[in-house]
Amino acid sequence: MTYQIADEPVETSLRSYVVRPSMPLLAIMLGGAWLAWPWFAFNAIAMGSPTRRKEIALCAAAFAGTAALGAIVIALFNAGLLPDGAPVRLAVLGVVTFKVAITYHISAVQSRTFHVYEYYGGRVRDPRRLLGAAYLLRGLVIGLVDHPLWEIIVAGAIPGWHAAPWGW
Amino acid sequence: MEQRQITVLLEQAEVQRRLGNHRGATALAQRALTLDPDHARAHAALAAILLDARRLVGAGIEARAALALDADDRYIHRVAAAVLAAERKLHDAWAHCLIAIQGPAPAPEAFVLGAHVRELQGDRAHARELLHEALAIEAAHVGALTRLARLELADGARDEAARLIALALEADPADPSAHVAAGTIDLARGDAASAETHARFVLGLDATDHDALVLWAAIQARRSWLLGAWWRWNMWMAQRDDRRKIALLIAAFVVARIAIIVTDELGFAGVSRLLYIAWLGLCAYSWLAPALFRRMIARSLETVRLDPDF
Repeated sequence: MTYQIADEPVETSLRSYVVRPSMPLLAIMLGGAWLAWPWFAFNAIAMGSPTRRKEIALCAAAFAGTAALGAIVIALFNAGLLPDGAPVRLAVLGVVTFKVAITYHISAVQSRTFHVYEYYGGRVRDPRRLLGAAYLLRGLVIGLVDHPLWEIIVAGAIPGWHAAPWGW
Repeated sequence: MEQRQITVLLEQAEVQRRLGNHRGATALAQRALTLDPDHARAHAALAAILLDARRLVGAGIEARAALALDADDRYIHRVAAAVLAAERKLHDAWAHCLIAIQGPAPAPEAFVLGAHVRELQGDRAHARELLHEALAIEAAHVGALTRLARLELADGARDEAARLIALALEADPADPSAHVAAGTIDLARGDAASAETHARFVLGLDATDHDALVLWAAIQARRSWLLGAWWRWNMWMAQRDDRRKIALLIAAFVVARIAIIVTDELGFAGVSRLLYIAWLGLCAYSWLAPALFRRMIARSLETVRLDPDF
């Protein structure tokens, strides 16, 4: 048995589905968190990343953290402590900043393994069609549940120009 | 018998590392560690190889394993310092450099590494002193001359940098680091053709040489101001660790979004819309520029590959 270097990915049967970590990062901009974070988690498993537990935990923390922050913003808004207009938009921006920051962090962690994976000639899939479909589907996904918390959690980082206060 | 086998494997790994064959070198060091997983020097050798291959996570783990097994070996401290310097943990890196420098008959490489760390810490004067100490041990030490030349270049003394790098190339006309430094100095002096010659030479020896590829990209970046701007931004960001990079990007994102929201709420809808379009344009540029830049580099590297001497 050969000595295993700690940063090397392990063999998996899902290797043909591995994408660059920059693709789920782009997905949070174009599609939304509903796609980006599960995609990061899947990519970690498909790549056989030695840090996959950490990456999956970060994805779970991203969902939980966003839900908690979103719930606080909505509670403050409903209690009248957060006036409509700029204050609520800036508060939602705080939640979005958390989402983007944790997504960058997951991407940075996954990139370390990806470089080793690519270095050893691992196959990398081009997911442009999936990204395009995600962009077209994002309205449908956001509209699945008529609740601002859902919108805050699943929406992406690029808002529509006439987006509602929650809409990013 | 096993010890001798490990020594031979590590010697072969070092030869492959110097040739730029990181995969071959890694496999040889792995074979040595398969024979003895508690061999400190084998862990250190693997750390040095992984560092050369820019695998910082693996290099860090191997360097720590080597130190845990033998904390008295100055070579291991040198490797640990190099890994920590690459991780931008400069305080710890310097502590290991001090151990590598202290004691009888220190290696000039320890002083060169120490100078690198001190330079990163912003103490160029001390870095210069350390390099002169290395040159006092070995007057024609290529590593020390090359780093001193880079220091002179950073201080704006281009002629002195050129003189020093000429000495380094005289001492070893095939040293890749000296050629890359010579190319960098030539580029700073506006001689892109000569810089390209140096980069071509190194890429001819090792097509994956990181520093030569960086020099090559810097030469190509001068051919397009739009992509050149991205390259300069990228190189500036590369000097920062992941946390700082993320913090900078997030700060830029938040400032842009606040400006959009505030201008909109104040009734300047047109300004807000312009800011929004500019922000989207910047996002698109930051995604497209690296791809276009990589394509430009790949095309230009074809000319190196087609070179009959390659």
